Amino acid sequence: MDTRFKPTKKFMLIFAAMILIGLVAVIAGFVSDPARTWPNVLLNNMYFITLSMGALMFYAIQYISGSSWSALIQRIPLAAGAFLPIGFILMLLLYFGLHDIYEWSHPEITETDKLMAHKAPFLNVPFFMIRMVLYFALWVPLFFLLRSMARKEDQIGGEQWYHKSAFYAKVFIFAAVLIFSLASVDWIMTIDAHWYSTMFGFRSMITSMYYGTAIIILLIFLLKRMDFFPQLKEAHRHDLARYLFRFSIVFGYLWFMQFLIIWYANIPESTIYYTPRLHGEWKFFFYAEPIINWAIPFVVVMADDFGRKKPVLIGISALLMIGLWMSLFLQIMPGSYGSLKLGFLEIGIWIGYIGLYLIMVFLCLSGLSIVPKNHPMLDDSIHHHL
Amino acid sequence: MSTKQIIGVFDDEALLLKATQKLKSHGVNIRDIYGPSADHDLIKNLTRESKLPYLSVFTGILTILLTFAFVYYVTVIDYPLHYGGKPVFAFPSLVVVMYLLCILITGAFTTFSFLTSEKMFPGKAPRLVDPRAAIDRFYLVLERNFNPDEITEWLREEGAEEIIEKETEA
Repeated sequence: MDTRFKPTKKFMLIFAAMILIGLVAVIAGFVSDPARTWPNVLLNNMYFITLSMGALMFYAIQYISGSSWSALIQRIPLAAGAFLPIGFILMLLLYFGLHDIYEWSHPEITETDKLMAHKAPFLNVPFFMIRMVLYFALWVPLFFLLRSMARKEDQIGGEQWYHKSAFYAKVFIFAAVLIFSLASVDWIMTIDAHWYSTMFGFRSMITSMYYGTAIIILLIFLLKRMDFFPQLKEAHRHDLARYLFRFSIVFGYLWFMQFLIIWYANIPESTIYYTPRLHGEWKFFFYAEPIINWAIPFVVVMADDFGRKKPVLIGISALLMIGLWMSLFLQIMPGSYGSLKLGFLEIGIWIGYIGLYLIMVFLCLSGLSIVPKNHPMLDDSIHHHL
Repeated sequence: MSTKQIIGVFDDEALLLKATQKLKSHGVNIRDIYGPSADHDLIKNLTRESKLPYLSVFTGILTILLTFAFVYYVTVIDYPLHYGGKPVFAFPSLVVVMYLLCILITGAFTTFSFLTSEKMFPGKAPRLVDPRAAIDRFYLVLERNFNPDEITEWLREEGAEEIIEKETEA
């Protein structure tokens, strides 16, 4: 069995074409309507950073919990985080578009808006950029560290790499969970700077793990189609489905609780966030979000035999990819661009980013052996059964 | 109604699993497996499938309707009250109560239907095949839908320690 993934020419051509579509969309967007393009760039940055962080959190959790079932697929979540360095550069580019996204980035607003003046020491452009750099300065080196340890485990072998990875996984989970919550508040919640929700960060973090699991499932089955992972059995699918099921419950809970508390208290300064989404043109997205992200996965994956089938898992994961886009669209657009516009620009940029993300993932995978060679729990994982 | 059953006694879980798979492939109906520990692979081989999960889902759906009716009766028909600028039928504010009611009713109903279907009540004598089933032996209870000699032969081939024929209440 070939243990290395070599990206074929066909693959690279498809991805290059996708990136080309994205570039065309971005350039057309900047020429015609920069105010509409910048929020879309932020949306897609956040989308793929969410996926990367979620996948890496999955990777770290496997080490922390000492799971043996996942040893077979452990390289996939690691590679799924390969977008992070690129995400860092793309987030830095956002510096040029801050005025089109964030209300607080206009210095003159502090003169008329008392609340903005109060928040100005935290919400100002230099500090925002410094924080962004700090977040990535934590994540990106940790990602490279974990990757180099995985590579050394393949090449040199020995149990020490497992224990080292387990240690750095613990470091990473703190950096990821705490800092990603903060980062999502920074990048997404401050778009509606007058509004705040105390569970926003936690919700984004859980969301990240949820969709991270979904992208891992998609990548695994994509590789299985190329004849990798012959040892993948129903038991592994069962465990992956359980991850999805559990996170769908937590997602549904947090989505509803954030809404319920604001709806129940009915205080104008918090309902300001939900009023346009619930009654305006965003209504469709508002109701579709919990249905796609919670109700459908919850009901489908709940059924023990049906939810573990390969096409069902692929379908649900692909649906969740759309769900995450809708979820972020609903979080970002009403506060930044203000009106609902869905066209080639939005879809094109998304497609371009998908190409970029997959190129990064497959380049990372080609440097590793797809099935970890010297993982101490590999045998356990191959013979995993329920 | 009492039926005769063939019971194979095993002391090894792996042997038992192999035996169940072989007997199942021959078409023997496996009634039940008694043993000190649970095993998912064994449960999959049982011919008699538990209907309890379906009952649970059905009750859950029924209970959702029931709680909605209950909340509607309380907040709209019995004691309509406007508060917080909300419509009378403001069920999201009572969603926690409804959620807990659903769990309570569904859980209790499932438990009691399990107890009834298994005819369990306080003071009932245990229906164990053999006391050793609670210690270290596994019991494979088979229906006699085949030639009993054949079943006995298969069981012996698969390494059964002992083979018992017993009359039990069905």
